[in-house]
Amino acid sequence: MRMQLKYWLVLVLAGLTSMTSAQETFKELDETEVNFLFNYYEQDGNNGAVQGGRGTEELSNVAPSLIVNIPLDTARNLMAYIGFDKYSSASTDRIDDPYLENVNLSTASSSDTRFYTNINYQRKNSAAKVTQSYKAGVSVEYDYTSISAGYGFAKESKDQNRELSLSGMAYFDTWQLIFPTELRGTDGLNNEKQRQSFNFTSTLSQVINKKLQASFSGELVYQTGRLSTPFHRVYFNDGESNIFLKERRTENLPDTRFKIPLGLRLNYYLNDYVVLRGYYRYYYDDFGITANTFEIETPIKVFSTLTIYPFYRYHTQTAADYFKPFGQHELTDEFYTSDYDLSEINTTSLGFGFKYSPIYGLARFKGPFSKKTGKVTKFKSVEVRYADYTREGNNTNDPGGGDLDAYSLSFNMTFTF
Amino acid sequence: MKRNRIIIGIALIVGIAFQSCVSVEAYQKIYLNDENMELNARKVAVYETNFQAYREGASGANGGKTGGGCGCN
Repeated sequence: MRMQLKYWLVLVLAGLTSMTSAQETFKELDETEVNFLFNYYEQDGNNGAVQGGRGTEELSNVAPSLIVNIPLDTARNLMAYIGFDKYSSASTDRIDDPYLENVNLSTASSSDTRFYTNINYQRKNSAAKVTQSYKAGVSVEYDYTSISAGYGFAKESKDQNRELSLSGMAYFDTWQLIFPTELRGTDGLNNEKQRQSFNFTSTLSQVINKKLQASFSGELVYQTGRLSTPFHRVYFNDGESNIFLKERRTENLPDTRFKIPLGLRLNYYLNDYVVLRGYYRYYYDDFGITANTFEIETPIKVFSTLTIYPFYRYHTQTAADYFKPFGQHELTDEFYTSDYDLSEINTTSLGFGFKYSPIYGLARFKGPFSKKTGKVTKFKSVEVRYADYTREGNNTNDPGGGDLDAYSLSFNMTFTF
Repeated sequence: MKRNRIIIGIALIVGIAFQSCVSVEAYQKIYLNDENMELNARKVAVYETNFQAYREGASGANGGKTGGGCGCN
């Protein structure tokens, strides 16, 4: 009898053990998620840096991209981000137009395409609450190639209310220098220069209470190499009023730049209908730019499946030490630029987005992997976002200089497999 | 001087906010797990972050790019 009891006990224990291991073996993986993104962007202004701070800044950009997130197992994840930007720019048309007169000129430089891809491999140790990630990327356009690599480490607290993440990225860029035609000299287009950027980021995320959480980010960015754009013209204050005879050179900036952006994000769940998302950034760099950026977004749940979110962003910055408007640089200046991106500006961005995500998706169908995985493909959600952007110059001796208007329209369609 | 004041201000806000934290159990995180509460920029906003980095001298601390690529148009 005693032997029989022992026998049954062993059997039950064995059964329980096998059940546990079976549950572990068949623990459901997260679904593979694919995001199809698309953006159309258009801008117009009258301070093109190619023309020395005067002339058109008209530009349009079409940018489709794809983000694929594949869980390899319960601990490992692979993310790929692939896309291209196809832009047409009226100002780059003026690189080969020294007299800035041919408004209808069309050259090969008026449009270009940038292809890019980024890969992120992530491994999570759930017991130690540590996530490590390895990143690599490449970006290619006609005159510019960028290769990047990086590593990230994140450690979560035991109660999962706090996370500290540290990451580093290095970018190695090669630039084929294209100077304005009249400043090209004998080297023609056969110049190549390097640029490297090193970025260290630390982020502390913290749950403050049941409805409030925050993150604080600090970055150190160091850039070295060719930091000035070769086809940006700069006109000097040489007393000459005739633009054709006026002294002009290509932009010249220091070959190192150190940036420190600090960001604070604060999200508050106001009630079941409204969430408040706030963001503030302080920025400093050794070119002399100091900036403050505020952003507020208020997602409103109209229905459980539909969220609309108006947002507003305000940015203000001081000018770089090397910036002066058209014709105001002294001939003795060591560094000079008339690029209004580096000038004293205030910008506002106002827009809204909406996301529609029914519980069972917008559609379900057999996808390319359905046979293999036994899962249906789900068209999970669609998101649309529109932003109207205004930049106002605030530069002394140049009223109205730096003004620019732009808008951006983006889509995101999410599928799971 | 102004820069120091801003940095001290941020440090104070972060310090006070993080000091008043309470321990929230996993089963109490229903609000925090809402997708709108994610402490990241939205995927669909990545394009805006990029063009803002081009059209403004300042960038970074928002998940956007701070290096690499030309962005000169």
